[in-house]
Amino acid sequence: MEGFLNLILEPVNEVYLKFKGFFPNLLAMLTIIIIGVIVAWLVKAVLLKFFKAIKFDSWCDRMGFTALLRKADVWAKPADIFVVAVYWFMIIGFLMVGFSALNIQAIDSLVSEFFLYLPRAFSAVVILLIGYMVAGFLSRAVLIAAVNSGLHYAKLLAEAVRLLLTVLILAMALEQLKVAPSIVVAAFSIIFGGIVIALAISFGVAGIGAARRMIESGGEEKKEERGEVEHV
Amino acid sequence: MADFYQTGIITTLHRLGKPSLERLESELVEYAKARPLALVLPALYSEFEGKAMPRIIEELAKVKYVCKIVLVLARASEKEFIKVKELMSPIPYEVKVIHNDGRRIKEIYDTFRRNGLDPGEDGKGRSAWLAYGYVIADGECDVIALHDCDILTYSREMLARLCYPVVSPNLDYVFCKGFYSRVTDKMHGRVTRLLISPLVRSLKDLTASHPFLIFLDSFRYPLAGEFCMTVDMARVNRIPWDWGLEVGALAEVYRNYSPRRICQVDIAETYEHKHQVLSSEDPEKGLMRMTVDICKSIFRTLASEGVIFSDGFFKTLQVAYLRMAEDTIMKYEADAAINGLIFDRHEEAKAVEAFTSGITIAAQTFMENPMGTPLIPNWNRVTSAIPGILDMLKKAVDEDNK
Repeated sequence: MEGFLNLILEPVNEVYLKFKGFFPNLLAMLTIIIIGVIVAWLVKAVLLKFFKAIKFDSWCDRMGFTALLRKADVWAKPADIFVVAVYWFMIIGFLMVGFSALNIQAIDSLVSEFFLYLPRAFSAVVILLIGYMVAGFLSRAVLIAAVNSGLHYAKLLAEAVRLLLTVLILAMALEQLKVAPSIVVAAFSIIFGGIVIALAISFGVAGIGAARRMIESGGEEKKEERGEVEHV
Repeated sequence: MADFYQTGIITTLHRLGKPSLERLESELVEYAKARPLALVLPALYSEFEGKAMPRIIEELAKVKYVCKIVLVLARASEKEFIKVKELMSPIPYEVKVIHNDGRRIKEIYDTFRRNGLDPGEDGKGRSAWLAYGYVIADGECDVIALHDCDILTYSREMLARLCYPVVSPNLDYVFCKGFYSRVTDKMHGRVTRLLISPLVRSLKDLTASHPFLIFLDSFRYPLAGEFCMTVDMARVNRIPWDWGLEVGALAEVYRNYSPRRICQVDIAETYEHKHQVLSSEDPEKGLMRMTVDICKSIFRTLASEGVIFSDGFFKTLQVAYLRMAEDTIMKYEADAAINGLIFDRHEEAKAVEAFTSGITIAAQTFMENPMGTPLIPNWNRVTSAIPGILDMLKKAVDEDNK
């Protein structure tokens, strides 16, 4: 009978001992998450006030970031979007830290991967933001230059420049995020290479006559310089 | 039939003989190919429940020269907005309904405010201004026509006559204001008859016929809500959002364009719409509110033209106006008598008294704060402050209409 009882109690005791060892970790995880939520909430509130004070939304309106959001049919205020992103980023961060307190190997590796990925995500965001501004600036510069040169297709040219730069920036950001990098690089090379070849061919074909005239006139000038011109 | 006498410094296009609507419309179809026309309709949801709007939709469905309708719907829930889109569906050309109380448009208004561009309070002025913005953003139309949505006697002839002077490249006017007779069994249009005309003429006497007053006095019905203009004008004109809308808009037209390119056209034999109560006791309501806003708008425009106002000036103005308005009542009494119209002289005198106190309130308000209610900024300034705003507005409207 005693042996039978041991058979039942031993696994229970084992589970109890394991739980006893695991419980402080669980408690630590919950504490970290709760503190994390409070900190994230506080940061959110402080950031909202800060952005309001520096008129972040108005700055985004002038820089064209708001227009970018609206193009994607996102109608929240830029500051709200940014703050909510920071808030959830912090929540996920604290969740990861909390999970790592459980000391489970699989979760540990996941957490370390997450933190290793963060600098990439950050640089991708920076590339997108700076790239968007540069694309806007260059597109505007091309538009002004083309209009001043009296080109009828000035707007089309400016939009083409913006589109090309956007493709370049997206490819750079995706490459930074390591999202199917080989496909991204190959697709980008094909698209960009194709456009450049198309431009080169069209310029070449259209400029055959002009090039011939330039070469011929260049040759005649050289002949005249050498005094080898035969006068009839 | 009207006479052909030209009054004032702008061109007056009369209704002479029996003009053919078919001829007018067929010419407009041709002209509108070169100068596409957008029709702006500022409407309340309640107007769709009345008699006027169903008739307007029925008439507009027969029109062939309008490129698109931009209807700004105010005071409507999401369900009512969807219902309005359905009600507008019989119209065979493009109709965009701007949901003024919708999530996206509210965000657009917030964008204006946080960048220091106050679009004012909800009303016809703000709705019209937003619709101009959409037409500019859309870039398909060269001419904008606007009329109210409470016209009980609406016919498509009104629209054709209103648009013709601006859409026609041969006439090439930049702004055309509608006028019409406001007569049933009695004369309506008290604010125009008993406030604007006597006030403007009194002011003319006191300011040695200031050119703006001559311009304003040239309009036979300056408070008419129907007009047509070029899109370029919609870009540069600022408009008030309050009841001073019509007079304020005329002031901007005067400031920016030569009177030789401005006209007024007789658009209807008769015109009937929603009537406002006088509300002589409460200057915040009805015709009294309208009086105060209109007077403030006129005073402000004159001040911006260099006219100096003082307490003495306003005291003289009150007396001069009262005398001029009393004389005007006598003229209208005679006019009513010969035409067999009902004419309540006591009611007319009460209206003049109310308007006099309205002028006093407007004068006090003006002296306290000459800047008064700011005008809504023009679209050129808005796009300069927020470069992507037109794209945002277009996106908001297009998404709402999907």
